Amino acid sequence: MSTGSISLRERITSRTEHIWSHLRFLAGDRLACAGLITLGVFVFLGVTGPTIAPYHPIEDYVRTAQGDIVRLSAPSMDTPLGTTEYGKDVLSQFLAGAQPTLIVGLLGGVGTGALGFLVGLVSGYFGGWVDELLMRLTDLTFSLPFMPMALLLLTFITPNVWLITAIIISFLWKMPARVVRSEVLSTRERTFVKSARASGASHLRTMFLHIAPNVLPIGFLYTAYGVAWAIAAQASLAFLGFGDPTTTSWGRMLRMVFESGTIRIAWWWVLPPAIAIAAVTTSVFFIGRAYEEMINPEIQNQ
Amino acid sequence: MSDFRRFIAKRLTVSALLTLVSVTIIFFVLRLLPGSPFETLITTGNLSPEQAEEVFALYGLDKPLWQQYLVYLKNLLTFQFGYSILQSRPVWAILGPKLANTLILLVPALVTTAVVSTAVGMYAGWNRGSTAETTSIAVTTFLRSTPVFITAIFLLIAFSYTLGWVPAFGMRRVTATPNGLLDTYLSIDFLHHYLLPFTVTVLYYSGDFLLLARNGVVEKKGSEFLKLHRAKGLTENEQLVRAGRNSLLPVVTYFALRLGMIFQGLILLEVVFGWDGIGRALVLAIEQQDYPLVQAAVFIMALAVIVMNLVSDVLCAYLDPTVTANGGAA
Amino acid sequence: MTSEQPLLEVDDLHVRYSTNGGDVYAVNGVSFSIDTGINYGLAGESGSGKSTVAEAILGLLPENGAIDRGEIRFKGENLLELSAAERRDVLWEKIAYIPQSAMDSLDPVMTTGDQIRQAIEKHRNVSETNARERVRELFDMVGLDPDRTEEYPHEFSGGMRQRVTIAMALALEPDLIIADEPTTGLDAIIQDKILDTMLDIQAQIDSSLLLITHEIGVIAETCAELSLLYGGKVMEQGSVDNVLINPTNPYTMGLKNSFPEIEGGDSPVSIPGSPPNLSRAPSACAFTERCPFSTEECEQSHPDLMELPNRNHRSACHHVEQAAQMRRDATEPETWGVAVEAENEPETGDVILEADNLRTWYEQSQSLVSKLRGKDPTYVRAVDGVSLSVRRSEILGIAGESGCGKSTLGETMALLTTPTDGELVFDGVPYEQYRDGNMKEFRRKLQIIFQDPFDSLNPRQPVRKLVGEPLTIHDYRTDERTAAITETLETVGLPTTTSFLDQHPHELSGGQRQRVAIARALVLDPDFLICDEPASMLDVSLKVNLLNLLRRLADTEDIGIIYISHDLASLAEVSDRLAIMYLGRIVEQGAVDSVIQQSKHPYTNSLLSAAPEKDPSVERQRVLLEGKPPTPVDLPDGCVFAPRCPKATTECHSAEPAADAAGDENHLAACYFPDSEHDPISAEDSSTGTESVSD
Repeated sequence: MSTGSISLRERITSRTEHIWSHLRFLAGDRLACAGLITLGVFVFLGVTGPTIAPYHPIEDYVRTAQGDIVRLSAPSMDTPLGTTEYGKDVLSQFLAGAQPTLIVGLLGGVGTGALGFLVGLVSGYFGGWVDELLMRLTDLTFSLPFMPMALLLLTFITPNVWLITAIIISFLWKMPARVVRSEVLSTRERTFVKSARASGASHLRTMFLHIAPNVLPIGFLYTAYGVAWAIAAQASLAFLGFGDPTTTSWGRMLRMVFESGTIRIAWWWVLPPAIAIAAVTTSVFFIGRAYEEMINPEIQNQ
Repeated sequence: MSDFRRFIAKRLTVSALLTLVSVTIIFFVLRLLPGSPFETLITTGNLSPEQAEEVFALYGLDKPLWQQYLVYLKNLLTFQFGYSILQSRPVWAILGPKLANTLILLVPALVTTAVVSTAVGMYAGWNRGSTAETTSIAVTTFLRSTPVFITAIFLLIAFSYTLGWVPAFGMRRVTATPNGLLDTYLSIDFLHHYLLPFTVTVLYYSGDFLLLARNGVVEKKGSEFLKLHRAKGLTENEQLVRAGRNSLLPVVTYFALRLGMIFQGLILLEVVFGWDGIGRALVLAIEQQDYPLVQAAVFIMALAVIVMNLVSDVLCAYLDPTVTANGGAA
Repeated sequence: MTSEQPLLEVDDLHVRYSTNGGDVYAVNGVSFSIDTGINYGLAGESGSGKSTVAEAILGLLPENGAIDRGEIRFKGENLLELSAAERRDVLWEKIAYIPQSAMDSLDPVMTTGDQIRQAIEKHRNVSETNARERVRELFDMVGLDPDRTEEYPHEFSGGMRQRVTIAMALALEPDLIIADEPTTGLDAIIQDKILDTMLDIQAQIDSSLLLITHEIGVIAETCAELSLLYGGKVMEQGSVDNVLINPTNPYTMGLKNSFPEIEGGDSPVSIPGSPPNLSRAPSACAFTERCPFSTEECEQSHPDLMELPNRNHRSACHHVEQAAQMRRDATEPETWGVAVEAENEPETGDVILEADNLRTWYEQSQSLVSKLRGKDPTYVRAVDGVSLSVRRSEILGIAGESGCGKSTLGETMALLTTPTDGELVFDGVPYEQYRDGNMKEFRRKLQIIFQDPFDSLNPRQPVRKLVGEPLTIHDYRTDERTAAITETLETVGLPTTTSFLDQHPHELSGGQRQRVAIARALVLDPDFLICDEPASMLDVSLKVNLLNLLRRLADTEDIGIIYISHDLASLAEVSDRLAIMYLGRIVEQGAVDSVIQQSKHPYTNSLLSAAPEKDPSVERQRVLLEGKPPTPVDLPDGCVFAPRCPKATTECHSAEPAADAAGDENHLAACYFPDSEHDPISAEDSSTGTESVSD
């Protein structure tokens, strides 16, 4: 018993050490490091944003002492990021807007990664007609244009965060699926897989215990990319006016400023959401790239 | 060679089936979703119930669903897209020019970025670890991960609103009424409007090509065959050419795929710049629930992707001597 | 005599690689010189620095490799002082290179002809027509069809690609050709033919050769002088005859003794231990850790190369004066601390595995059209009618060139591939019974070990899991897991410490990995082992260790073993009986001594004659086979070997000889005209003799 717990503890230690070594590698890459910090701030905003916002982003108007609505005012002491054409506080909108972006990004990314990983794993491992069927399915999602199809669906069903996430996943899973599949195809041919089969391991055991751990890094990588794609897709939909109408998001803020025609003047209204979206998506990619360098042996072993 | 033919035949069959399935999905998504443009017209009183019947009959909407489906299939596959409900003009007469507008913007941009970014990517890969490499990767990663409308907005703010170098909106001056092809697409005014959307497109697509080329060259750099080339006394540049040639395949196939995707237009780009392309037309049609227009546009987009997918597979089998026709299917 | 300047002089060369894990001192003061027209051998195990020396001479060191010290003079000119452009001019024009892995060394998207032409046009100002003509000429010279210059590398087989690289090296008739393991990974027969071609042409154009290889036999046959490297140091150098016949350095002695020989009397003795750690520049003798003769003096410094009187022979050993004594001791396994096992002739048990007329055919993919037309599908006949049986405690060796179907045979007998036809009985039960629901039992009793030790273990599992997993799968000894794992690891000679159990495959050495793979198979106490080229990627001393381990398992654990390999020397060493395979058939089988000393089938004969001889004083008689094996799709009528057989007659071409056409029950050969006595030289005579008989 005692030996078992020791080895368990050792295993946990070695696992954490493993993760730490990855993190240390990422920290060593300056861009990835900056990305990690940006993401940290983003997650913090996503969790606490709505509560620390000074105004309600949609209901409250910013008013002067006289009670007049302050429209389109440049940043000031009261409103550090100015106000919108409609008299709302930009800072509050910005803080609140992080949340839907975080939810869609995280869920969309994880969903994309998980679904794509499973499809790629099954498709690549079993081959034959299973593979043919699943791969033609990915071809199909490639040929149906994402944006128009999403817009069509969102015209008829009132958009909400969950629906948008679901639509994004149903169009993005093909990316990891293809890459994971080709990775599985080459892993499947490796001797240790044959050796596992020869020692009597079942298909499920071979697939999940022998192949999956060896393609997991690429699955993680595409989960990371999935997060960035989901955020970009969500922002784009919101910008076109197909976002969740009941919540504020950064994409929706941009739509408002673009629609109001004040984009020429109201830089304080445009820049925060635009820079935030760009920063978050770019950060995710920077981390993903550094991770890719780390896990890709062909690039690494030079 | 018969192997190659068999491979082509298989790919063609698969593409045809894919087209059929896509078209079917489009049909059912449009028909089964609630709401239609006529309902709005009827409820607003613009159309009497009798008139509505007539219009329904005109569009074949009174027939059972499966008949509608067959007619729809026949029409689409013979490229008869019917009439727009709201504009009462043939759909093709509306979409054709818009598609041309999209292609005139995106094709040159895509070609430019494919050539330039690939070359830069190869150079970066060859000089791995250099400042040029790190910078180019950082910049293009930013450009490819940021949603295109945000890049567009940044550039608009900088070059249009602040510096005033280029116009912010549209394809030409409002007063312009161009005659003939040359005047439409080669006037100074047009080029002036063209510059910014073109630049954004080039930048947006640059990242993928650059990284593909760069990773390819980095992988080839340690290869045995390059070592033999080096042993033969080839100069650095000659070696780079060989490494480049060997990593060109993914770039070319990616280019073909992207070429298929641009028929979808860069919807957001067209919206931001007010570029009168097919993507913007589609968004408008969706908002107005103009079905014939929507289904025709989506059909064209899907078909372009399927065809270019096919082209890229064939190109792959043709360009790479080591890919046997069987392997190309993967 | 000495006034003539050497062609190439390497003087006190030091090369260091900087890696993430610190520096690696790969070459630590290597000096040698090659005279004009001399074939020079550079030998050593992996990690000895031999390839690094070649790369340094060619200026092809990877970016993290740096020459710390030393000079490389070519015709008196220090190559290291040349500018990059001057250096490039020397390459190929003066020094050409034949790379190690011809499979990957040709540019996949450039025709072979163009690649050679590129080398010519880079250095000479010739017209394209002339260059093309020259390429055709070169193709012809190395035995390739001149009409194939427009073909891409993937259209050539491995051996032919190596010929392309040889043609390329000859293109400009260089003064020196550096060949880095030019035949590693090729079959014995092809290796033999390629070496033959290379030496032949190289003699014609009168250039020198620097041959780098780990096979002492190849050097013994082709080179006049050699240097033996270990840990980036020259251990012994001089004329091949002196060094290999009368080695004065313990390392040379150990290496020479550890090579298994087909017809060797003594069992090979492996050098225990592992290659030196090169993360520091060596301060002691590089070999001291593994040397049985090492003394305190050896710990102090690496000995300088000492000139031995009156002959072309230098040795780096502090105890060189005791060479004769050491030579005598070195042949004794006890000297190396290797336990000697009693050579008791073990009685073999009952038959455990029996195959009768076993076939494995793969259907070739076909177009739908020809399927509809009702064309008969074509088959690749990988295994085509094999009959054999193995007893408990017996090792059956199966030998053959690549593509002969020996791996498919192994996988079929392990039921990883379903037989197309024929019978397979394991432990008294026909395979159909296992297939119909008793697969688990079969998988527990019969284990297969694969070729590649670097890839046969899941990189994500620690040793504990690797060895323990079969127990979980089969629910075998699960309550005493740890004990089962420890016992098995001890059996294969691996440590059982917790830290070792927690190591992942990448932390293990090649030999350790292969042992873990074997432990994984043995942990279930199987009755049968199938080993598919388990040692082909291991250095010679590890290979010998592995062979000894298998022999011990057969003798003590009472299990039957099939050992599949193309290396006849290893097979001869380990097997009780030997089967020779050609094109999916077994053409000869019998007791190992009988097959080797009295081979009956001409194919066996040519296989035996292709293996290089490590003793330079022995002249080997080669039986070079024409052509290559046909693809096992459209096989000729009659004996499948007839198209290449030097003594085939019309009878051979008309009907296939049965597996037992010649010999008795202890030694069968599928041949109408078996060799009566073992003497490869007589192959020609006897063939004419038999031909006249058949007339």
